[in-house]
Amino acid sequence: MHFFTVSNLSAGYGGKPVLEDISFSLDSGCLLGILGANGSGKTTLLKALCNLLPHKGSCILEENVLEKLKPGQMAKLCGYIPQRSGISLDISALDVVLMGFNPHLKLLERPTQAMKTQAARALGLVGLAGKEALNYQTLSEGQKQLCILARTLCTGSRLLFLDEPESALDFRFRYRMLELLQDWLTQAPRAAVVSLHDPFLALNYCHRLLLLSEGRILGSLCPKTDPPHRMEELLSHIYGEISLASCTDRSGRKHLVMLKEASAPIRANILP
Amino acid sequence: MRYKLLCALCSGLLAALILLSLFTGKYPLRLEELLGGNELHRRVFLNLRASRTLVGAMGGFALGVSGFVYQTVFRNPLASPDIIGVSSGASAGAAAGILFFSGAAAVTVSAFLGALGAVAVVLTLSALDKTGRNSSIVLAGIAVHALAQTVLMCLKLTADPERELASIEYWIMGSLNGVSIHSLGGNLLLCLLCLIGLFLLHRQIILLSGEEGEARMLGVSVGKIRLLVLLTATLTVSSVVSLTGLISFVGLLAPHGARLLTKDNRPGTMALAGLLGGVLLLGADILARSVSAVELPVSIFTSLLGAPFLISLIGRRSS
Repeated sequence: MHFFTVSNLSAGYGGKPVLEDISFSLDSGCLLGILGANGSGKTTLLKALCNLLPHKGSCILEENVLEKLKPGQMAKLCGYIPQRSGISLDISALDVVLMGFNPHLKLLERPTQAMKTQAARALGLVGLAGKEALNYQTLSEGQKQLCILARTLCTGSRLLFLDEPESALDFRFRYRMLELLQDWLTQAPRAAVVSLHDPFLALNYCHRLLLLSEGRILGSLCPKTDPPHRMEELLSHIYGEISLASCTDRSGRKHLVMLKEASAPIRANILP
Repeated sequence: MRYKLLCALCSGLLAALILLSLFTGKYPLRLEELLGGNELHRRVFLNLRASRTLVGAMGGFALGVSGFVYQTVFRNPLASPDIIGVSSGASAGAAAGILFFSGAAAVTVSAFLGALGAVAVVLTLSALDKTGRNSSIVLAGIAVHALAQTVLMCLKLTADPERELASIEYWIMGSLNGVSIHSLGGNLLLCLLCLIGLFLLHRQIILLSGEEGEARMLGVSVGKIRLLVLLTATLTVSSVVSLTGLISFVGLLAPHGARLLTKDNRPGTMALAGLLGGVLLLGADILARSVSAVELPVSIFTSLLGAPFLISLIGRRSS
Protein backbone atom coordinates (compact mmCIF):
# COMPACT_ATOMS: atom_id res chain seq x y z
CA MET A 1 0.00 0.00 0.00
CA HIS A 2 1.27 3.47 -0.91
CA PHE A 3 1.68 6.36 1.48
CA PHE A 4 -0.60 8.66 -0.52
CA THR A 5 -2.96 7.54 -3.27
CA VAL A 6 -5.08 9.69 -5.55
CA SER A 7 -7.66 7.89 -7.66
CA ASN A 8 -9.79 9.17 -10.51
CA LEU A 9 -9.79 12.78 -9.43
CA SER A 10 -11.80 15.22 -11.55
CA ALA A 11 -12.49 18.82 -10.68
CA GLY A 12 -13.47 22.12 -12.23
CA TYR A 13 -14.92 25.54 -11.65
CA GLY A 14 -18.62 26.19 -12.14
CA GLY A 15 -19.28 23.02 -14.15
CA LYS A 16 -16.36 23.61 -16.50
CA PRO A 17 -13.95 20.68 -16.10
CA VAL A 18 -10.31 21.56 -15.49
CA LEU A 19 -8.91 18.27 -14.27
CA GLU A 20 -9.98 14.92 -15.63
CA ASP A 21 -9.31 11.50 -14.23
CA ILE A 22 -6.08 12.12 -12.36
CA SER A 23 -4.63 9.09 -10.59
CA PHE A 24 -1.21 8.70 -9.00
CA SER A 25 0.38 7.50 -5.83
CA LEU A 26 3.53 8.20 -3.91
CA ASP A 27 5.56 6.51 -1.22
CA SER A 28 6.88 7.88 2.01
CA GLY A 29 9.94 10.09 1.53
CA CYS A 30 9.00 11.06 -2.01
CA LEU A 31 9.17 14.59 -3.35
CA LEU A 32 6.75 14.67 -6.26
CA GLY A 33 7.07 17.57 -8.67
CA ILE A 34 4.22 18.69 -10.89
CA LEU A 35 5.22 20.32 -14.17
CA GLY A 36 2.93 21.90 -16.68
CA ALA A 37 2.43 24.99 -18.78
CA ASN A 38 0.41 27.94 -17.49
CA GLY A 39 -3.24 26.97 -17.25
CA SER A 40 -2.56 23.23 -17.29
CA GLY A 41 -4.27 22.75 -13.93
CA LYS A 42 -1.38 22.63 -11.44
CA THR A 43 -2.96 24.97 -8.91
CA THR A 44 -6.37 23.40 -9.37
CA LEU A 45 -4.87 19.97 -8.70
CA LEU A 46 -3.22 21.13 -5.48
CA LYS A 47 -6.41 22.82 -4.32
CA ALA A 48 -8.42 19.69 -5.04
CA LEU A 49 -5.87 17.55 -3.15
CA CYS A 50 -6.22 19.92 -0.19
CA ASN A 51 -9.97 19.46 -0.44
CA LEU A 52 -10.44 23.19 -0.98
CA LEU A 53 -12.26 22.53 -4.23
CA PRO A 54 -15.24 20.20 -4.71
CA HIS A 55 -14.12 17.20 -6.78
CA LYS A 56 -14.85 13.61 -7.76
CA GLY A 57 -12.49 10.81 -6.85
CA SER A 58 -10.60 10.22 -3.64
CA CYS A 59 -7.31 11.05 -1.94
CA ILE A 60 -6.11 8.60 0.70
CA LEU A 61 -3.21 9.38 3.03
CA GLU A 62 -2.22 6.17 4.85
CA GLU A 63 -5.64 5.07 6.12
CA ASN A 64 -7.25 8.54 6.08
CA VAL A 65 -9.67 9.55 3.34
CA LEU A 66 -8.86 13.27 3.07
CA GLU A 67 -12.30 14.18 1.76
CA LYS A 68 -13.89 12.98 4.98
CA LEU A 69 -11.65 14.92 7.36
CA LYS A 70 -12.70 18.05 9.21
CA PRO A 71 -10.43 21.09 8.71
CA GLY A 72 -8.83 20.55 12.12
CA GLN A 73 -7.90 16.92 11.38
CA MET A 74 -6.85 17.75 7.85
CA ALA A 75 -4.52 20.50 9.06
CA LYS A 76 -2.81 18.11 11.46
CA LEU A 77 -1.94 15.76 8.59
CA CYS A 78 -1.38 18.11 5.66
CA GLY A 79 0.20 21.49 5.14
CA TYR A 80 -0.44 23.84 2.22
CA ILE A 81 1.58 26.72 0.82
CA PRO A 82 -0.47 28.74 -1.67
CA GLN A 83 1.18 30.73 -4.46
CA ARG A 84 0.65 33.84 -2.43
CA SER A 85 -0.45 33.95 1.16
CA GLY A 86 -3.53 36.08 1.74
CA ILE A 87 -2.32 37.71 4.95
CA SER A 88 -3.14 41.38 4.59
CA LEU A 89 -2.85 42.55 8.19
CA ASP A 90 0.10 44.13 9.92
CA ILE A 91 1.35 41.26 12.08
CA SER A 92 4.80 40.09 13.06
CA ALA A 93 6.62 37.32 11.22
CA LEU A 94 6.64 35.27 14.43
CA ASP A 95 2.86 35.56 14.75
CA VAL A 96 2.51 34.34 11.16
CA VAL A 97 4.57 31.24 11.97
CA LEU A 98 2.58 30.68 15.17
CA MET A 99 -0.61 30.44 13.09
CA GLY A 100 0.70 27.03 12.04
CA PHE A 101 0.13 25.66 15.53
CA ASN A 102 -3.59 26.32 15.31
CA PRO A 103 -4.57 22.67 14.66
CA HIS A 104 -2.84 21.72 17.92
CA LEU A 105 -4.59 24.39 19.97
CA LYS A 106 -8.12 24.47 21.33
CA LEU A 107 -10.46 27.25 20.19
CA LEU A 108 -9.56 29.75 22.91
CA GLU A 109 -6.05 28.52 23.74
CA ARG A 110 -2.98 30.65 23.13
CA PRO A 111 0.36 29.41 21.77
CA THR A 112 2.70 28.18 24.51
CA GLN A 113 6.23 29.39 25.17
CA ALA A 114 7.58 26.14 23.69
CA MET A 115 5.67 26.84 20.48
CA LYS A 116 7.13 30.34 20.32
CA THR A 117 10.65 28.95 20.71
CA GLN A 118 9.96 26.38 18.02
CA ALA A 119 8.54 29.03 15.70
CA ALA A 120 11.58 31.26 16.16
CA ARG A 121 13.83 28.28 15.40
CA ALA A 122 11.85 27.56 12.23
CA LEU A 123 12.33 31.16 11.11
CA GLY A 124 16.06 30.75 11.68
CA LEU A 125 16.04 27.54 9.66
CA VAL A 126 14.60 29.21 6.57
CA GLY A 127 17.08 32.07 6.83
CA LEU A 128 14.97 34.67 8.59
CA ALA A 129 16.78 34.62 11.93
CA GLY A 130 16.40 37.85 13.86
CA LYS A 131 13.38 38.94 11.84
CA GLU A 132 10.79 37.56 14.29
CA ALA A 133 9.46 40.94 15.33
CA LEU A 134 9.37 42.47 11.85
CA ASN A 135 6.03 43.30 10.30
CA TYR A 136 5.17 40.56 7.79
CA GLN A 137 3.91 43.17 5.32
CA THR A 138 7.32 44.87 5.16
CA LEU A 139 9.07 41.63 4.13
CA SER A 140 9.88 41.07 0.46
CA GLU A 141 7.76 38.58 -1.49
CA GLY A 142 10.51 35.98 -1.19
CA GLN A 143 10.87 36.49 2.55
CA LYS A 144 7.10 36.20 2.92
CA GLN A 145 7.23 32.89 1.08
CA LEU A 146 10.02 31.66 3.39
CA CYS A 147 8.01 32.77 6.41
CA ILE A 148 5.04 30.72 5.20
CA LEU A 149 7.42 27.77 4.62
CA ALA A 150 8.58 28.08 8.24
CA ARG A 151 4.94 28.07 9.34
CA THR A 152 4.27 24.90 7.39
CA LEU A 153 7.44 23.02 8.36
CA CYS A 154 7.19 23.45 12.11
CA THR A 155 3.75 22.01 12.64
CA GLY A 156 4.31 18.29 12.31
CA SER A 157 2.23 17.55 9.23
CA ARG A 158 3.03 14.46 7.15
CA LEU A 159 2.12 15.60 3.66
CA LEU A 160 2.88 19.00 2.19
CA PHE A 161 1.30 20.65 -0.82
CA LEU A 162 3.31 23.54 -2.24
CA ASP A 163 2.10 25.71 -5.08
CA GLU A 164 5.08 27.23 -6.93
CA PRO A 165 6.93 27.97 -3.72
CA GLU A 166 10.05 29.07 -5.59
CA SER A 167 8.39 31.68 -7.81
CA ALA A 168 9.35 34.73 -5.72
CA LEU A 169 12.69 33.46 -4.45
CA ASP A 170 16.13 34.49 -5.63
CA PHE A 171 18.72 32.05 -6.96
CA ARG A 172 20.16 31.06 -3.59
CA PHE A 173 16.90 30.70 -1.72
CA ARG A 174 15.37 28.51 -4.43
CA TYR A 175 17.95 25.85 -3.62
CA ARG A 176 17.63 26.56 0.08
CA MET A 177 13.89 25.92 -0.10
CA LEU A 178 14.23 22.60 -1.91
CA GLU A 179 17.09 21.48 0.33
CA LEU A 180 14.93 22.28 3.35
CA LEU A 181 12.15 20.21 1.83
CA GLN A 182 14.48 17.29 1.16
CA ASP A 183 15.79 17.48 4.70
CA TRP A 184 12.24 17.60 6.05
CA LEU A 185 11.41 14.48 4.04
CA THR A 186 14.15 12.39 5.65
CA GLN A 187 12.04 11.93 8.77
CA ALA A 188 9.51 9.34 7.57
CA PRO A 189 6.60 9.02 7.19
CA ARG A 190 6.49 12.19 5.14
CA ALA A 191 5.96 13.20 1.52
CA ALA A 192 5.47 16.39 -0.46
CA VAL A 193 3.75 17.40 -3.68
CA VAL A 194 5.16 20.54 -5.23
CA SER A 195 4.25 22.37 -8.42
CA LEU A 196 7.26 24.03 -9.99
CA HIS A 197 7.90 26.42 -12.83
CA ASP A 198 11.65 25.90 -12.89
CA PRO A 199 12.44 22.62 -14.74
CA PHE A 200 16.02 22.69 -13.44
CA LEU A 201 14.85 22.43 -9.84
CA ALA A 202 12.29 19.82 -10.80
CA LEU A 203 14.83 17.63 -12.62
CA ASN A 204 17.46 17.82 -9.90
CA TYR A 205 15.55 17.81 -6.65
CA CYS A 206 12.33 15.87 -7.20
CA HIS A 207 12.24 12.10 -6.98
CA ARG A 208 9.44 11.88 -9.44
CA LEU A 209 7.75 14.27 -11.86
CA LEU A 210 4.16 14.35 -12.97
CA LEU A 211 3.57 16.11 -16.28
CA LEU A 212 0.27 17.85 -16.57
CA SER A 213 -1.25 19.08 -19.80
CA GLU A 214 -4.75 20.45 -20.26
CA GLY A 215 -5.97 18.86 -17.06
CA ARG A 216 -4.69 15.35 -17.76
CA ILE A 217 -1.58 13.48 -16.79
CA LEU A 218 0.72 13.33 -19.79
CA GLY A 219 3.14 10.99 -18.12
CA SER A 220 5.41 10.54 -15.18
CA LEU A 221 9.17 10.31 -15.04
CA CYS A 222 12.00 9.65 -12.60
CA PRO A 223 14.87 12.05 -13.44
CA LYS A 224 17.46 9.85 -11.69
CA THR A 225 16.75 6.65 -13.58
CA ASP A 226 14.83 7.35 -16.79
CA PRO A 227 16.78 7.41 -20.07
CA PRO A 228 17.32 11.01 -21.33
CA HIS A 229 15.60 10.53 -24.68
CA ARG A 230 12.37 9.46 -22.99
CA MET A 231 12.48 12.48 -20.69
CA GLU A 232 13.22 14.79 -23.62
CA GLU A 233 10.25 13.44 -25.52
CA LEU A 234 7.84 13.89 -22.60
CA LEU A 235 9.14 17.30 -21.58
CA SER A 236 8.99 18.66 -25.13
CA HIS A 237 5.22 18.14 -25.04
CA ILE A 238 5.13 20.88 -22.42
CA TYR A 239 8.07 23.10 -23.27
CA GLY A 240 8.43 22.66 -27.05
CA GLU A 241 11.71 21.57 -28.64
CA ILE A 242 14.19 20.96 -25.81
CA SER A 243 17.23 18.87 -25.13
CA LEU A 244 18.71 17.65 -21.87
CA ALA A 245 22.37 17.90 -20.96
CA SER A 246 24.25 16.56 -18.02
CA CYS A 247 26.77 18.81 -16.26
CA THR A 248 29.04 18.17 -13.34
CA ASP A 249 29.81 20.83 -10.72
CA ARG A 250 33.18 21.21 -8.98
CA SER A 251 32.22 18.89 -6.16
CA GLY A 252 31.45 16.19 -8.71
CA ARG A 253 27.69 16.30 -8.38
CA LYS A 254 25.74 15.77 -11.59
CA HIS A 255 23.04 18.20 -12.71
CA LEU A 256 20.52 17.79 -15.48
CA VAL A 257 20.08 20.94 -17.51
CA MET A 258 17.25 21.60 -19.92
CA LEU A 259 18.10 23.63 -23.01
CA LYS A 260 15.59 25.27 -25.30
CA GLU A 261 16.22 24.38 -28.93
CA ALA A 262 15.82 27.04 -31.56
CA SER A 263 12.32 27.04 -32.98
CA ALA A 264 10.75 28.75 -35.96
CA PRO A 265 10.93 32.54 -35.50
CA ILE A 266 7.79 34.13 -34.16
CA ARG A 267 6.33 36.53 -36.68
CA ALA A 268 4.74 39.30 -34.71
CA ASN A 269 2.43 40.60 -37.37
CA ILE A 270 0.05 42.11 -34.90
CA LEU A 271 1.11 45.65 -35.67
CA PRO A 272 0.38 46.96 -39.16
CA MET B 1 6.19 48.49 25.92
CA ARG B 2 4.64 50.81 23.40
CA TYR B 3 1.25 49.18 24.00
CA LYS B 4 1.47 49.54 27.73
CA LEU B 5 2.31 53.22 27.39
CA LEU B 6 -0.43 53.87 24.84
CA CYS B 7 -3.03 51.87 26.76
CA ALA B 8 -2.07 53.59 30.03
CA LEU B 9 -2.32 56.97 28.33
CA CYS B 10 -5.74 56.19 26.87
CA SER B 11 -6.98 54.68 30.14
CA GLY B 12 -5.89 57.84 31.97
CA LEU B 13 -7.70 60.00 29.44
CA LEU B 14 -10.80 57.84 29.71
CA ALA B 15 -10.73 58.02 33.51
CA ALA B 16 -10.45 61.83 33.36
CA LEU B 17 -13.39 61.98 30.96
CA ILE B 18 -15.42 59.69 33.21
CA LEU B 19 -14.89 62.08 36.12
CA LEU B 20 -15.71 65.06 33.94
CA SER B 21 -18.81 63.32 32.60
CA LEU B 22 -20.08 62.56 36.10
CA PHE B 23 -20.04 66.26 36.98
CA THR B 24 -21.13 67.82 33.67
CA GLY B 25 -24.75 68.61 32.90
CA LYS B 26 -27.66 70.94 33.44
CA TYR B 27 -27.95 70.23 37.11
CA PRO B 28 -24.75 71.31 38.86
CA LEU B 29 -23.51 68.49 41.09
CA ARG B 30 -21.04 69.15 43.83
CA LEU B 31 -18.92 66.56 45.51
CA GLU B 32 -19.42 67.79 49.08
CA GLU B 33 -23.22 67.76 48.68
CA LEU B 34 -23.08 64.27 47.22
CA LEU B 35 -20.95 62.92 50.04
CA GLY B 36 -23.03 64.85 52.56
CA GLY B 37 -25.99 62.67 51.70
CA ASN B 38 -28.11 65.17 49.76
CA GLU B 39 -30.96 63.00 48.40
CA LEU B 40 -31.57 65.02 45.23
CA HIS B 41 -27.88 65.07 44.40
CA ARG B 42 -27.65 61.36 45.00
CA ARG B 43 -30.57 60.66 42.65
CA VAL B 44 -29.25 62.86 39.90
CA PHE B 45 -25.86 61.25 40.26
CA LEU B 46 -27.11 57.65 40.11
CA ASN B 47 -30.05 57.93 37.74
CA LEU B 48 -28.66 60.38 35.25
CA ARG B 49 -24.92 60.83 35.40
CA ALA B 50 -23.61 57.45 36.48
CA SER B 51 -25.70 55.50 33.99
CA ARG B 52 -24.98 57.91 31.19
CA THR B 53 -21.25 57.81 31.87
CA LEU B 54 -21.24 54.04 32.11
CA VAL B 55 -23.03 53.66 28.78
CA GLY B 56 -20.74 56.23 27.18
CA ALA B 57 -17.50 54.61 28.29
CA MET B 58 -18.51 51.02 27.85
CA GLY B 59 -20.56 51.63 24.70
CA GLY B 60 -17.63 53.41 23.10
CA PHE B 61 -15.31 50.59 24.12
CA ALA B 62 -17.70 48.02 22.65
CA LEU B 63 -18.11 49.93 19.38
CA GLY B 64 -14.34 50.29 19.02
CA VAL B 65 -13.64 46.61 19.65
CA SER B 66 -16.42 45.33 17.42
CA GLY B 67 -15.34 47.73 14.67
CA PHE B 68 -11.88 46.19 14.90
CA VAL B 69 -13.43 42.73 14.56
CA TYR B 70 -15.60 43.59 11.55
CA GLN B 71 -12.74 45.28 9.72
CA THR B 72 -10.46 42.32 10.34
CA VAL B 73 -12.89 39.55 9.46
CA PHE B 74 -14.14 41.29 6.31
CA ARG B 75 -10.63 42.40 5.32
CA ASN B 76 -12.19 45.76 4.62
CA PRO B 77 -11.00 48.97 6.25
CA LEU B 78 -14.44 50.49 5.77
CA ALA B 79 -16.37 47.62 7.35
CA SER B 80 -18.67 48.65 10.15
CA PRO B 81 -21.75 47.16 11.82
CA ASP B 82 -23.70 48.48 8.82
CA ILE B 83 -22.03 45.98 6.56
CA ILE B 84 -24.09 43.11 7.92
CA GLY B 85 -27.21 45.13 8.62
CA VAL B 86 -26.90 45.72 12.37
CA SER B 87 -27.57 49.45 12.31
CA SER B 88 -30.39 49.50 9.79
CA GLY B 89 -32.05 46.53 11.50
CA ALA B 90 -31.84 48.29 14.83
CA SER B 91 -33.32 51.49 13.34
CA ALA B 92 -36.26 49.64 11.82
CA GLY B 93 -36.74 47.76 15.10
CA ALA B 94 -36.65 50.95 17.13
CA ALA B 95 -39.14 52.63 14.80
CA ALA B 96 -41.50 49.68 15.16
CA GLY B 97 -41.04 49.86 18.93
CA ILE B 98 -41.87 53.57 18.97
CA LEU B 99 -44.97 53.06 16.82
CA PHE B 100 -46.47 49.94 18.31
CA PHE B 101 -45.30 49.80 21.91
CA SER B 102 -44.63 52.36 24.55
CA GLY B 103 -41.83 52.98 26.98
CA ALA B 104 -38.08 53.20 26.57
CA ALA B 105 -37.54 49.55 27.55
CA ALA B 106 -39.82 48.33 24.77
CA VAL B 107 -37.96 50.43 22.21
CA THR B 108 -34.65 49.03 23.43
CA VAL B 109 -35.85 45.44 23.18
CA SER B 110 -37.42 46.09 19.80
CA ALA B 111 -34.25 47.70 18.43
CA PHE B 112 -32.15 44.83 19.76
CA LEU B 113 -34.43 42.26 18.10
CA GLY B 114 -34.42 44.30 14.88
CA ALA B 115 -30.63 44.26 14.77
CA LEU B 116 -30.39 40.55 15.50
CA GLY B 117 -33.18 39.79 13.03
CA ALA B 118 -31.41 41.65 10.24
CA VAL B 119 -28.13 39.86 10.91
CA ALA B 120 -29.88 36.50 11.10
CA VAL B 121 -31.40 37.13 7.65
CA VAL B 122 -28.01 38.19 6.27
CA LEU B 123 -26.23 35.10 7.56
CA THR B 124 -29.02 32.78 6.39
CA LEU B 125 -29.00 34.33 2.91
CA SER B 126 -25.23 34.09 2.67
CA ALA B 127 -25.39 30.41 3.68
CA LEU B 128 -27.26 29.78 0.41
CA ASP B 129 -23.99 30.44 -1.38
CA LYS B 130 -22.24 27.13 -0.90
CA THR B 131 -18.79 28.51 -1.63
CA GLY B 132 -19.01 30.32 1.72
CA ARG B 133 -17.19 33.40 0.57
CA ASN B 134 -16.92 36.60 2.54
CA SER B 135 -18.32 38.53 -0.38
CA SER B 136 -21.62 36.67 -0.19
CA ILE B 137 -22.09 37.97 3.37
CA VAL B 138 -21.32 41.50 2.22
CA LEU B 139 -23.78 41.23 -0.70
CA ALA B 140 -26.51 39.81 1.54
CA GLY B 141 -25.74 42.64 3.97
CA ILE B 142 -26.29 45.25 1.29
CA ALA B 143 -29.61 43.65 0.29
CA VAL B 144 -30.86 43.44 3.89
CA HIS B 145 -29.68 46.97 4.60
CA ALA B 146 -31.76 48.24 1.69
CA LEU B 147 -34.73 46.17 2.82
CA ALA B 148 -34.53 47.45 6.40
CA GLN B 149 -34.33 51.02 5.08
CA THR B 150 -37.52 50.41 3.14
CA VAL B 151 -39.27 49.03 6.21
CA LEU B 152 -38.06 52.06 8.15
CA MET B 153 -39.40 54.40 5.48
CA CYS B 154 -42.82 52.70 5.52
CA LEU B 155 -42.92 52.93 9.29
CA LYS B 156 -42.03 56.62 9.12
CA LEU B 157 -44.86 57.22 6.61
CA THR B 158 -47.42 55.80 9.00
CA ALA B 159 -45.96 57.65 11.98
CA ASP B 160 -47.64 60.63 13.54
CA PRO B 161 -45.40 63.52 12.43
CA GLU B 162 -45.72 65.47 15.66
CA ARG B 163 -44.57 62.92 18.19
CA GLU B 164 -43.64 59.55 16.72
CA LEU B 165 -41.76 60.71 13.66
CA ALA B 166 -39.71 63.09 15.78
CA SER B 167 -38.85 60.29 18.22
CA ILE B 168 -37.81 58.01 15.37
CA GLU B 169 -35.59 60.68 13.87
CA TYR B 170 -34.14 61.50 17.25
CA TRP B 171 -33.45 57.83 17.98
CA ILE B 172 -31.64 57.41 14.67
CA MET B 173 -29.45 60.40 15.41
CA GLY B 174 -28.32 58.70 18.60
CA SER B 175 -28.00 60.05 22.08
CA LEU B 176 -26.97 58.93 25.51
CA ASN B 177 -29.74 61.05 26.95
CA GLY B 178 -32.46 59.17 28.77
CA VAL B 179 -30.67 55.91 29.51
CA SER B 180 -31.55 55.06 33.05
CA ILE B 181 -29.76 52.87 35.52
CA HIS B 182 -32.79 50.58 35.82
CA SER B 183 -33.03 49.54 32.20
CA LEU B 184 -29.41 49.05 31.25
CA GLY B 185 -28.32 46.15 33.46
CA GLY B 186 -29.14 43.39 30.99
CA ASN B 187 -27.60 45.23 28.05
CA LEU B 188 -24.35 46.00 29.81
CA LEU B 189 -23.99 42.47 31.17
CA LEU B 190 -24.48 41.03 27.68
CA CYS B 191 -22.07 43.58 26.25
CA LEU B 192 -19.43 42.73 28.86
CA LEU B 193 -19.72 38.99 28.29
CA CYS B 194 -19.47 39.38 24.51
CA LEU B 195 -16.46 41.66 24.84
CA ILE B 196 -14.68 39.04 26.95
CA GLY B 197 -15.63 36.49 24.29
CA LEU B 198 -14.16 38.65 21.52
CA PHE B 199 -10.85 39.04 23.34
CA LEU B 200 -10.69 35.28 23.89
CA LEU B 201 -11.43 34.74 20.21
CA HIS B 202 -8.72 37.17 19.08
CA ARG B 203 -6.45 34.44 17.64
CA GLN B 204 -9.33 33.07 15.56
CA ILE B 205 -10.25 36.57 14.36
CA ILE B 206 -6.71 37.02 13.03
CA LEU B 207 -6.82 33.59 11.36
CA LEU B 208 -10.08 34.55 9.64
CA SER B 209 -8.42 37.62 8.15
CA GLY B 210 -6.40 35.48 5.74
CA GLU B 211 -7.45 33.87 2.51
CA GLU B 212 -10.18 31.29 3.12
CA GLY B 213 -8.45 28.21 1.74
CA GLU B 214 -5.34 29.08 3.68
CA ALA B 215 -7.33 29.45 6.91
CA ARG B 216 -8.99 26.09 6.28
CA MET B 217 -5.62 24.43 5.80
CA LEU B 218 -4.56 25.92 9.12
CA GLY B 219 -7.39 23.95 10.70
CA VAL B 220 -10.00 26.70 10.93
CA SER B 221 -13.60 25.64 10.25
CA VAL B 222 -14.05 28.96 8.50
CA GLY B 223 -17.85 28.97 8.24
CA LYS B 224 -18.50 28.05 11.86
CA ILE B 225 -15.84 30.23 13.43
CA ARG B 226 -16.82 33.21 11.30
CA LEU B 227 -20.44 32.75 12.37
CA LEU B 228 -19.39 32.61 16.02
CA VAL B 229 -17.20 35.71 15.76
CA LEU B 230 -19.76 37.74 13.80
CA LEU B 231 -22.60 36.82 16.15
CA THR B 232 -20.55 37.78 19.19
CA ALA B 233 -19.55 41.10 17.63
CA THR B 234 -23.14 41.73 16.56
CA LEU B 235 -24.50 41.05 20.05
CA THR B 236 -21.93 43.49 21.41
CA VAL B 237 -22.98 46.25 19.04
CA SER B 238 -26.70 45.54 19.35
CA SER B 239 -26.58 45.72 23.13
CA VAL B 240 -25.10 49.23 22.87
CA VAL B 241 -26.99 50.56 19.87
CA SER B 242 -30.37 49.45 21.18
CA LEU B 243 -29.77 51.70 24.21
CA THR B 244 -28.29 54.72 22.49
CA GLY B 245 -29.54 54.77 18.91
CA LEU B 246 -27.12 54.95 16.01
CA ILE B 247 -23.70 56.33 16.77
CA SER B 248 -21.67 57.09 13.71
CA PHE B 249 -17.95 56.90 13.19
CA VAL B 250 -16.77 55.42 16.51
CA GLY B 251 -16.67 51.84 15.23
CA LEU B 252 -14.92 52.97 12.07
CA LEU B 253 -12.44 55.38 13.53
CA ALA B 254 -11.30 53.86 16.83
CA PRO B 255 -9.76 50.71 15.27
CA HIS B 256 -7.96 52.74 12.61
CA GLY B 257 -6.60 55.06 15.26
CA ALA B 258 -5.39 52.11 17.32
CA ARG B 259 -3.72 50.44 14.34
CA LEU B 260 -2.04 53.62 13.22
CA LEU B 261 -0.67 54.08 16.72
CA THR B 262 0.60 50.53 17.30
CA LYS B 263 1.07 49.39 13.66
CA ASP B 264 -0.08 45.86 14.40
CA ASN B 265 -3.11 43.78 15.32
CA ARG B 266 -2.35 42.12 18.63
CA PRO B 267 -4.90 41.94 21.47
CA GLY B 268 -3.31 45.12 22.86
CA THR B 269 -4.31 46.97 19.70
CA MET B 270 -7.85 45.65 20.03
CA ALA B 271 -7.97 46.93 23.61
CA LEU B 272 -6.59 50.26 22.46
CA ALA B 273 -9.34 50.46 19.83
CA GLY B 274 -11.84 50.01 22.65
CA LEU B 275 -10.23 52.66 24.83
CA LEU B 276 -10.13 55.14 21.96
CA GLY B 277 -13.80 54.37 21.26
CA GLY B 278 -14.65 55.07 24.90
CA VAL B 279 -12.72 58.34 24.88
CA LEU B 280 -14.36 59.43 21.65
CA LEU B 281 -17.94 58.61 22.64
CA LEU B 282 -17.67 59.99 26.15
CA GLY B 283 -15.93 63.14 24.95
CA ALA B 284 -18.59 63.63 22.28
CA ASP B 285 -21.35 63.10 24.82
CA ILE B 286 -19.88 65.67 27.23
CA LEU B 287 -19.85 68.19 24.39
CA ALA B 288 -23.36 67.18 23.27
CA ARG B 289 -24.81 68.11 26.63
CA SER B 290 -22.72 71.18 27.40
CA VAL B 291 -22.23 73.12 24.16
CA SER B 292 -25.74 74.50 23.82
CA ALA B 293 -28.83 74.93 25.97
CA VAL B 294 -30.54 72.04 24.22
CA GLU B 295 -29.13 68.53 24.11
CA LEU B 296 -27.51 67.78 20.71
CA PRO B 297 -27.20 64.40 18.96
CA VAL B 298 -23.95 62.74 19.99
CA SER B 299 -23.07 61.64 16.44
CA ILE B 300 -22.43 65.24 15.46
CA PHE B 301 -19.55 65.34 17.89
CA THR B 302 -18.18 61.84 17.32
CA SER B 303 -17.69 62.83 13.68
CA LEU B 304 -16.48 66.31 14.54
CA LEU B 305 -13.87 65.02 16.99
CA GLY B 306 -13.02 61.90 15.09
CA ALA B 307 -12.38 63.17 11.59
CA PRO B 308 -9.52 65.58 12.46
CA PHE B 309 -7.97 62.94 14.72
CA LEU B 310 -7.92 60.41 11.92
CA ILE B 311 -6.58 62.93 9.43
CA SER B 312 -3.80 63.95 11.82
CA LEU B 313 -2.81 60.29 12.28
CA ILE B 314 -2.68 59.76 8.52
CA GLY B 315 -0.61 62.91 8.17
CA ARG B 316 1.78 61.68 10.83
CA ARG B 317 2.15 58.33 9.12
CA SER B 318 3.03 59.80 5.74
CA SER B 319 5.61 62.21 7.14
